[in-house]
Amino acid sequence: MNSASATTPTHRPAWLAFLGVVTWKGVALIATLTLLAAGVLNPIFAVPFGVLLGRLMFVAAMLVLAFGAAGTWHPARVPRWLAQVLAVVIAAPIATMVAYLPSVDGRITDVLGHESRIMGFVFITMTAVVIAPLVAFGALYRERDAQARSAQLAFELERSTLEKEALDARLKLLQAQIQPHFLFNTLANVQALVESGSPHAAPVLKSLIAYLRAAMPRLQAGSSTLANEIAMVRAYLELMRMRMPDRLEVSIDVADDIAAREFLPMSVLTLVENAVRHGIDPSEGGGRIEVRARHQPDGAIRLVVADTGAGMSESAVPGTGLANLESRLRGFFGAAARLELHEAKPHGLSAEIVFPAVRGASA
Amino acid sequence: MNAPTALIADDEPLLRERLRAHLARLWPELEVVAEARNGREAIEFFETHLPQVAFLDVHMPGLNGIDAARSIARRAEVVFVTAHDHYAVQAFEHGAIDYVVKPFDEVRLADSVARLKTRLASPQTTAVPGIEAVLDQLAAELKARGGGGRPKYLQWIRASVASSVRLIPVEQIAFLRSDEKYTLVVWEGGEALIRRPIRELVDELDPDTFAQIHRSVIVNLRQVAQVDRGFNDTAEVKLKGRREVLPVSRSFLHVFRQM
Repeated sequence: MNSASATTPTHRPAWLAFLGVVTWKGVALIATLTLLAAGVLNPIFAVPFGVLLGRLMFVAAMLVLAFGAAGTWHPARVPRWLAQVLAVVIAAPIATMVAYLPSVDGRITDVLGHESRIMGFVFITMTAVVIAPLVAFGALYRERDAQARSAQLAFELERSTLEKEALDARLKLLQAQIQPHFLFNTLANVQALVESGSPHAAPVLKSLIAYLRAAMPRLQAGSSTLANEIAMVRAYLELMRMRMPDRLEVSIDVADDIAAREFLPMSVLTLVENAVRHGIDPSEGGGRIEVRARHQPDGAIRLVVADTGAGMSESAVPGTGLANLESRLRGFFGAAARLELHEAKPHGLSAEIVFPAVRGASA
Repeated sequence: MNAPTALIADDEPLLRERLRAHLARLWPELEVVAEARNGREAIEFFETHLPQVAFLDVHMPGLNGIDAARSIARRAEVVFVTAHDHYAVQAFEHGAIDYVVKPFDEVRLADSVARLKTRLASPQTTAVPGIEAVLDQLAAELKARGGGGRPKYLQWIRASVASSVRLIPVEQIAFLRSDEKYTLVVWEGGEALIRRPIRELVDELDPDTFAQIHRSVIVNLRQVAQVDRGFNDTAEVKLKGRREVLPVSRSFLHVFRQM
């Protein structure tokens, strides 16, 4: 695995993360608290204010380091907040002891042997033990607050992403173009019919006009009825039947009560075009396309576009219409609507739209 | 000299008939000896009749016109027929390969017929230099664009769900997790088991979207909501709108380093 070696150069060292604990705001807060404590403790101390402040500053700095260190290298079984608070409490007397060392030339026994120094040690330690955990808790609370805010931001980001996706889907639909290959091939067929004086020329031209009218990008992507959709599909399949009469069979079976329903424009046509493109067109023998709609026992309606063609490979790139059909369906019918692609046996694909009988209801 | 012979290959019967009618008018001596409905038939009929000219539709089911032309190679004059294929037309012009466009224009068709007559009269100049290379490149390009070949990454995953075989769009997959024998595919619409191992899938899925984050887990990066660093250089991944928490092992933590 190359992952281990790839890790090293980008690895941010733990000590850097640890230093990240120190912020200017934090330093200022600690300095202010230390100054306050020094002011309060000053009357009971014999040493000058400067020395006392120096000792307290040193203790405070040590406690911040202990807090940061415990956050970075806390033992696995101890929660981080507990490790940090404990580290501060334990570090307080030790740091105070160290703060006294310069004034006694490093002899610890001198501190213990001098009553007022013991008192000073106790006072400073007590102050540190009381204030430091409070500051530590405060820091931890702020951290949680920041996490909650980032979660909120993430949520808003996701919502705006969803809105953007819905908009993209509509834009892509508007940009959806009539395949030039389809158009010129169809026109070549129409020309052939016209030139040979075939009586089929006029009805085929009518189908082409109906299809073009439907497939032209439209500015208001309102709603259509399923009956309208099926009419477009018929026009399109008529054209394909003219072009490949020996390779395409068609059957459409949609009951009137279902056909009367409002439906998402261009959705059935998208599925039928996909069936021709990925199913019938690549197959030498062609196949059959069936469009049917049924009520399901659970109250939803299932519209099926099934073909017996080549089937779709796992690496077949979906056309834009198919790729965003599911999000368009949800936008139109509500969250319960979905698109399912099933493999047909022995070969072919069945694309199925499941939608609630009442728009917006749960299917 | 015998009458010149030709083969017409197009999957659309009306267009075969049309081309035949045009040729009958423009080149009455030409005898169309066979009409093929796809590339496979074109090659078969070519071998049977060995015509001097082959009109090949570029877009045909199964083997296309380019594939058929590569098989016929230099044994006949090839004229491609295409409805609208910008790339192919460019390649034809670049490679000095003859072609006609649909719908047919009799003036253009007459030009092609004139060129064919000249070349048939002097067989030594038949060969277009470098034609094989142009055709090979064109065949590869058409395969890649038509989805007939193998584009780079999986777009769907085929999985048994209840009694049916579903094609699951990869962008709807949240994650894949394997156990010893199977891989569990979890997507917006449910869960399914497939027989492919993670190590195979990781090469077939688009690395811009999917990343292996653990020996047995691949995640869809677009569905990741949050990554929490744990101790000892590991992490946990939470997904948008899902409860599952996925492990990130040490050796895959680099996936999230730049985020």
